[in-house]
Amino acid sequence: MVKIQKFIDTPSQTAGPFLHIGCTPRITGINIFKSELGLTPFQDISDNEAINIKGKIYDGNKEPIIDAMIETWQCDANGNYSSNQGFARIVTDFKTGEYQLKTIRPGNEINTDGYLSPSYITFWIVARGMNRPLITRMYFLENDLKNDLMFQRLNIEDRLKTLIPYTEDEKNFVFDIHLQGKKETIFFEF
Amino acid sequence: MIKKHQPLRKFPDYKSSISRSPNKEPLWINSSSSEMSGPLFNEKIINKNDNNLTLNFSKTGEKPLGQEIFVHGFVKDENGNNLKNVLIEIWQANAGGKYRHQNDPSNIKLDENFGGCGRFITSSDGYYIFKTIEPGAYPYPNRGIEWRPRHIHFSLFGSMFLQRLITQMYFEGDPLIKSCPMVNSIPDINARKLLVGKLDLSKTDEERILGYRFDIILRGRQQTYFENKIEGS
Repeated sequence: MVKIQKFIDTPSQTAGPFLHIGCTPRITGINIFKSELGLTPFQDISDNEAINIKGKIYDGNKEPIIDAMIETWQCDANGNYSSNQGFARIVTDFKTGEYQLKTIRPGNEINTDGYLSPSYITFWIVARGMNRPLITRMYFLENDLKNDLMFQRLNIEDRLKTLIPYTEDEKNFVFDIHLQGKKETIFFEF
Repeated sequence: MIKKHQPLRKFPDYKSSISRSPNKEPLWINSSSSEMSGPLFNEKIINKNDNNLTLNFSKTGEKPLGQEIFVHGFVKDENGNNLKNVLIEIWQANAGGKYRHQNDPSNIKLDENFGGCGRFITSSDGYYIFKTIEPGAYPYPNRGIEWRPRHIHFSLFGSMFLQRLITQMYFEGDPLIKSCPMVNSIPDINARKLLVGKLDLSKTDEERILGYRFDIILRGRQQTYFENKIEGS
């Protein structure tokens, strides 16, 4: 039976170029709240477990987007999601468009089909010009995706590499996001 | 599959959406633990005056310029259940249409008594309230110079990351709404009305504060778009 909902959800609207006032106010010189949200996804990340992810979001003109906010959401090293950790809020640099995230490598969650999913971090992106958020995921190894049932069913093998960062070393990753063009990143809808 | 009540990502009338939206269709996948969980925030992160924008930035207690307003309402899910513990963040321009932001090019004056942001966590019955001032309309470059209707930005965290929402509230009767390409990027004309805060004379008071009512619906785990009906339509 199809469940009929009483209401439709409120439409999204762009966060605009001044989202920092409400979401990361300290960047705009407003220091009135107790704390900024999502400054770090986990408390006390040790050097041992820390990984660094950086990158840029490129628009259709191949220009980096300098006014985007990214929220990342991930499980802990054991594959568990918890409402009090795993969330980070980062913005792209006003000049270079680069974002940086220090976090830990997520574990493998059990997905809806009941098997272990390759580990990933969710990227939720808003900016001026985006009427709705764009949602993508950064996985770590392309081979993991090729062997993953969900991705096999989707039949998009030639695009899977857009979900994989450039690995500088085991602790440093570069994950660029391309909104258009040959390297257009895969975005998800649920 | 298109959600007609949600805006199109690429809507050429809103010029910057052309290069800032993907050309390929998104991939529809089942939500998993990552979409069904999400960060939760509690009262500990909130100061008493965080939801009072007429006071939360002013150093002297002097009020910002502009018509004082209450913006209030309920946050609900698609079945009409009130949602508690939803963190709401808002931001807006001052009464002259100027944002306290280094990238706002306008030469309108900042208001030293107005920061332009606030926070609130919905109570056990899903209720929220902000006290602020009416933001000014302002021009921006689009197809030539166009005017944004007066608006307040809203950001909401439900209990699942899937419910994460950023939107804008417009003001009932604002003649600029009709021509706004950001509003018009929503294909369903009735859904556009959901973004309009309604004048609420029951919420005015003798201190000359005008009331606006703005209810917000967060999506659920699954959606059956074709059966959706808007209340009153």
